[in-house]
Amino acid sequence: MNTMQTALGKLHLASPVTVASGTFDLENFNFIAQDCLGAFVCKTITRHPKVGNPPPRLFESEAGLINSIGLQNPGLDKFVSEYLPRLRDTLKIPLIVSLSGTSIAEFVEIMQTLETQEGISGYELNVSCPNVENEGIAFGVHPDIVYKLCSALSPLTRRELIIKLSPNVTDIASIAKAAEAGGADSLALINTVYGMAIDYKTGKSLIKQGIGGYSGIGIKPIALALTYKACQAVKIPVLAMGGIYTWQDALEFFWAGASMIALGTANFIDPTAAQKLYDGLNTHLQEHNLQLTDIIGKCVV
Amino acid sequence: MNHNPERREIAIYSREELCGDYFILWIWDDELSKISNPGQFFEIRAHSSLHDAWDSQRIPKLFKPISVYDNSGGRIGFFIKNVGPGTSALARLKAGDTLELIGPLGNGFPIVKGRRVLFLSGGIGYPPLSYLQKELINHNLIFWSHGGASSADVFPCDEVWTVDGSFGKQGMVTEGMADLLLSKKIDLVYSCGPGSMLKQAAQIAAAHGIEHYTSMEAYMACGIGVCHGCAVPVGTDEDWTYLRVCKEGPVFNAADVLWSEL
Repeated sequence: MNTMQTALGKLHLASPVTVASGTFDLENFNFIAQDCLGAFVCKTITRHPKVGNPPPRLFESEAGLINSIGLQNPGLDKFVSEYLPRLRDTLKIPLIVSLSGTSIAEFVEIMQTLETQEGISGYELNVSCPNVENEGIAFGVHPDIVYKLCSALSPLTRRELIIKLSPNVTDIASIAKAAEAGGADSLALINTVYGMAIDYKTGKSLIKQGIGGYSGIGIKPIALALTYKACQAVKIPVLAMGGIYTWQDALEFFWAGASMIALGTANFIDPTAAQKLYDGLNTHLQEHNLQLTDIIGKCVV
Repeated sequence: MNHNPERREIAIYSREELCGDYFILWIWDDELSKISNPGQFFEIRAHSSLHDAWDSQRIPKLFKPISVYDNSGGRIGFFIKNVGPGTSALARLKAGDTLELIGPLGNGFPIVKGRRVLFLSGGIGYPPLSYLQKELINHNLIFWSHGGASSADVFPCDEVWTVDGSFGKQGMVTEGMADLLLSKKIDLVYSCGPGSMLKQAAQIAAAHGIEHYTSMEAYMACGIGVCHGCAVPVGTDEDWTYLRVCKEGPVFNAADVLWSEL
């Protein structure tokens, strides 16, 4: 048996490593082989095209990255007509489509359209983007809305239904439970943490929109704690992310209960990071004669 | 044509000190030299392997986009200003140290013949035009006007402006642009520098109906078109979108950039 095999709900995957939405695209396969990834998660799509937020959109802080992209994307129609065929032609690994909407009806509409398309193994509902006001995070911070959204969408598909949660909430456990009760197959967490940077000389915000989403190595302890908390609260599997750079980081998240992990900002730091993580994790498990399933959720507290 | 960018680790061949905060890192690489063109850039970084990150407890940082300053016969130069944490890590490098690179990236300047060209640069906008000059000089008439904050930001060219008046003419480099367009009978402008300078230059070139290519700078995370961080508004007031400096740029036709949104 391959020591690296894992399951995320309905998906049986050859690698427990994937990529965070918006941090990885087909260009990255110039740098790494596809088979180190268990799945490919695309950048979030919305019903209508989104031009995104005004620049500056990025600032590298002491221990991570603040972004304010604003879900720039070509919209559902162009995704289906142009981008999805390219993904289908290129990918040898399962495709998970990240999507977001301004209302439950819009999520339903997007998913119904995607259901008519082949080559998609799962959906990741982005209800946690901190950079758009009326979609994304407005949904992800209320357990009752998360429940309603998952209840509306889960009967529509036999594909893996993942909901990506925000760390910017009072109680992740109640939101995780609401998602599980609503019929989500798995959870992804965390999306970025609210972050800000100011030029100390001029007092000017270094991100045009003021507050952005903070990612990277600095958020790892936060992500680990929320992963642990969510895994304690629900039975459905968790895809964990937040500051994961190395195979050692990944192992911490598996101990905490994650069934799969994703690299986000690490892909920008090193386009070969996913390959290095996969190789390092594989070597470690083999050297210690371990299956991944031996350690998932076995953290000692 | 564009080649798929590669990630490499290359030893620094030599390091050259310039005035103020400026320095040049030189590398040798025949293959990269052959496929790099004026206006293109590399994502570069002082080598810091993710592999060691966990052991060393050092926080790996993003690459920094640095344009090609010189490229001939296998020797490539990066002319850098030490302005922040990323570039100060580069500033500590010496000959023999390892440089990590991804590139060449982006689209370079259009190469022309038989034109009367104005180069307009500000501060660290100088290096990509220096490389372009070497490509154009045998087939075009070039006049180069450069501006900087002070005499510490001045490099070889035809006309110098400094904001503090410590060298050359006092003022912004764009102040002399309209006169130069007329007196030198300029029919093409290339520019690189701070956003406010490029915006001014674009307005002046447009008012004179002169073709103008500008190399834009932006904060980047990936450099390969994935993160959409380095956005520049391109189009008309009614119909525009954000393009990526790293992918569709860094060189844009200045008439296409929606300067009012910047």
